[in-house]
Amino acid sequence: MGTLLQQIANGIVLGATIGLIALGYTMVYGIIQLINFAHGEVFMVGAFGGLAVYRWVLPAAWQEMWYVALPLMLLGGVIVAVVIAVLMERFAYRPLRNAPRLAPLITALGVSVALQEAVRLWFPDADAAQPFPRVFVDAEINLGPVEISASELLLIVVSIGLSVLLQTYVSQSRMGRAMRATSQDRDTARLMGVNPDRVIVLTFILGAALAGVAGVLYGSNITNIDNSIGFQNGIFAFTAAVLGGIGSLRGAVIGAFIIGLIKSLGGQYLPGGTQYDYVWIFVVLILVLVFRPQGLFGDVERVRA
Amino acid sequence: MTKLTGFLPPALARPFAALGGLLFLVAAMLPWATFLLNDGAFPDKATLQFFDAPFELTGYRWHLLLFGALVLIATFVPTPGKARVLRAFGWGGLAISVISAIFIAGKGGGIGAITSADGNFALGPIVGALGGIALILSAGAMPLPDIPQWPTKIFARMGPRGRGLAWLILLVAFAAVLYLVSLTLTAGGIGGAAFPYAGPIFLAFLGFAGGLVGALHGMGVTGWIARLSEEYRAFSIIVLLLCAFALPFTDAGSQYWMQVAATIGVYAATAIGLNIVVGLAGLLDLGYVAFLGIGAFVAANLSGAAASTVGWNVPFPVAALISAAVAGAFGAVVGSPTLRVRGDYLAIVTLAFGEIFYRTALNNIGDLTGGSNAIPGIPAIEMFGKPFNEPITFLGTDLPSGVLYYFLIVLVVAAVMAVFANLKNSRIGRAWIAIREDEDAARAMGIATGRAKILAFMCGATLAGLAGAIFAHKLGSASADSFKFLESVTLLAAVILGGMGTIPGAVLGASLLFVLPEKLREFEDYRLLVFGLALVFIMRFRPQGLVPDRVRRAEFAGETAEGKPIEEVQEQAVLEQELELEREHEAPSGPKEAGR
Repeated sequence: MGTLLQQIANGIVLGATIGLIALGYTMVYGIIQLINFAHGEVFMVGAFGGLAVYRWVLPAAWQEMWYVALPLMLLGGVIVAVVIAVLMERFAYRPLRNAPRLAPLITALGVSVALQEAVRLWFPDADAAQPFPRVFVDAEINLGPVEISASELLLIVVSIGLSVLLQTYVSQSRMGRAMRATSQDRDTARLMGVNPDRVIVLTFILGAALAGVAGVLYGSNITNIDNSIGFQNGIFAFTAAVLGGIGSLRGAVIGAFIIGLIKSLGGQYLPGGTQYDYVWIFVVLILVLVFRPQGLFGDVERVRA
Repeated sequence: MTKLTGFLPPALARPFAALGGLLFLVAAMLPWATFLLNDGAFPDKATLQFFDAPFELTGYRWHLLLFGALVLIATFVPTPGKARVLRAFGWGGLAISVISAIFIAGKGGGIGAITSADGNFALGPIVGALGGIALILSAGAMPLPDIPQWPTKIFARMGPRGRGLAWLILLVAFAAVLYLVSLTLTAGGIGGAAFPYAGPIFLAFLGFAGGLVGALHGMGVTGWIARLSEEYRAFSIIVLLLCAFALPFTDAGSQYWMQVAATIGVYAATAIGLNIVVGLAGLLDLGYVAFLGIGAFVAANLSGAAASTVGWNVPFPVAALISAAVAGAFGAVVGSPTLRVRGDYLAIVTLAFGEIFYRTALNNIGDLTGGSNAIPGIPAIEMFGKPFNEPITFLGTDLPSGVLYYFLIVLVVAAVMAVFANLKNSRIGRAWIAIREDEDAARAMGIATGRAKILAFMCGATLAGLAGAIFAHKLGSASADSFKFLESVTLLAAVILGGMGTIPGAVLGASLLFVLPEKLREFEDYRLLVFGLALVFIMRFRPQGLVPDRVRRAEFAGETAEGKPIEEVQEQAVLEQELELEREHEAPSGPKEAGR
């Protein structure tokens, strides 16, 4: 029983990370029907951005004060992630907006490989895994049989908080309405006075900011990062977005928690153990795509399968 | 590139072309570096040493000289497809100059090395680059002609003598291709520490070869040869095979290059298989390398290697067939979601299958893959009592070890090409192309789309499995790490770079993607970075690839098969229609009815 609860807790922590990334996937896909394969790398770059701030910007005295260090690192991670995402949109995806659908997907693969390599080559020592400071309070919280660290709790709280915030923004604000309009019909939205280019850039910015936050919190939770975390978690997040119904924000977050649980519980209870937990996620991905491509919360007719 | 068109007034086109040619000639004669580089003289006497032997032009400077002379000829002699020819020479010369300039400046210490230092002047690279720019501008100022379509039927009309002539032409053309391939492989040496200049020489050579082939293409020569070989198909195939078999007898016949060529062959065969799935049927497969892996692991287990747990040792041809069959069966499994899933969702499903394969292979599923230890010690293929990894003597020539693998691979690639070509022109091939263009329309026309798509996956996977069997034996081991996601992307990139749906495209793409890293060892660290960026740039600037399929080209690049922009053709059609209408107004109904 204790193991089960502990694994559920682990799954939720993983789900919180994946959820923040999945939101970016689902928003971008919702608006321009692009599987932004490089979004996982944005998360990775965000983590390295946070690490860079810690190493080279923060004076030694501030590194100890988490209430100063963490916000600054988050800011650094978000800025780096957003800059990368905007450049990516502007120079790689925008020129291909009217190209055949496979072209942007292949471009996204290229961007993903290039970003991984750029970090490996140019971030000092990043050809090996880098230690990431546990910035937040280093404490364990006991909830009966379940033990959860303060960083993990923070990750869950921030993840859910930001998701709710984003959902509110998209459903309530003027710009959010423009986003929804653009995703439904770009040309009509343009006629209604929406500037689709701006909306698309904003979508990339929002997604990247969430991924940046996720990257920094993930780093401080796992306490070491390398340039391949983006690909792994990106795939998880994509699976989550599809499972939840791509284009649906709520679905992405719920899908992420389900994926997190599948990975932790599958690694514990299914044959093969943790070595095969990846495999279960891919199996789920295939099953969902084949049998319910609209996901749990997606609209049937919106799916362009 | 479009912005360069019309930058110059048309009147200046010819003077600029002449200027470009002259600049090439001058650049070839100028010294290219002001001092001796640390790693020794930049190859082919680019330093001031040159003046010790002023009439010896070799390497890229000789290429540039050749370009200059050809440009001058093309400028003043009526040339078919003139603007295209000049443009190709311009880009080729620019590439040669810029590559050498970057390298000399980077290695030799700054701009001084290619301008002036210590009282020496070396303006070769800059003059060459200016010449290239002048040519490109001049070509942009000329009207872009259609690629000339030379007649091929005249030989048939001339009777037996004509056929002999056509055969001779084809023979010369293919021999030239063989020579070019051999030159390309050996250009600059092997790469790595012992050959510090391998990278730039090779790249500069690619610039030369690209310019030359581009010019021939612009003149319509390559298209003519292609149609001619289509007409005398059996003869061409035999000659091409002979040429491929002749490669070990040229300069490229060293052990090293035979190994590289055999590896390229494996990937080329795999890429052709992938081309069926992606190029013909239009189904993006991101996990394709798994089939190569399945083939390799099956062959490894049947090879009698100490680590294999199956303990069933069969001769290689049988093992290869079993590998192909198993891979094909998995192909059908991976292809089955195509019944319900389309487009990029399908790409993700294939990616998931690929990852599942990689993960399970890494975990040594069923003791079949050796996990992280791989399956080492796979014996070499042995046929006719001869192990394939030993050197042989043939026709009095000693051929290095690995050459037998090369011969085998050539046969396999030829067989795969034959399969591909026949499939493409068959009923099922046309069904695939129809599905690629519009699946719903294809279904409406009575094509069983589901079956056709699964068949595409099966065919592709079978070919990859066959290639995988050879891969395992040639390498001597089968490891899950050879079949990562990145390898799938590389294969896909080979197909896209070469041109989707064409055979030469897949071979060319695979060759480039696997030769370049060999040549550019010193930049090995940057290989993947450049590779990723290259994918982005190809999709942006030349999505139809280097050797585009005729239909693909129209779809991706907005050009017709003759190389004319589609918009122009459409405008032309509209204009003609309007003219027709006007004519009809002028001459009322009478003649029209008479016409009927």
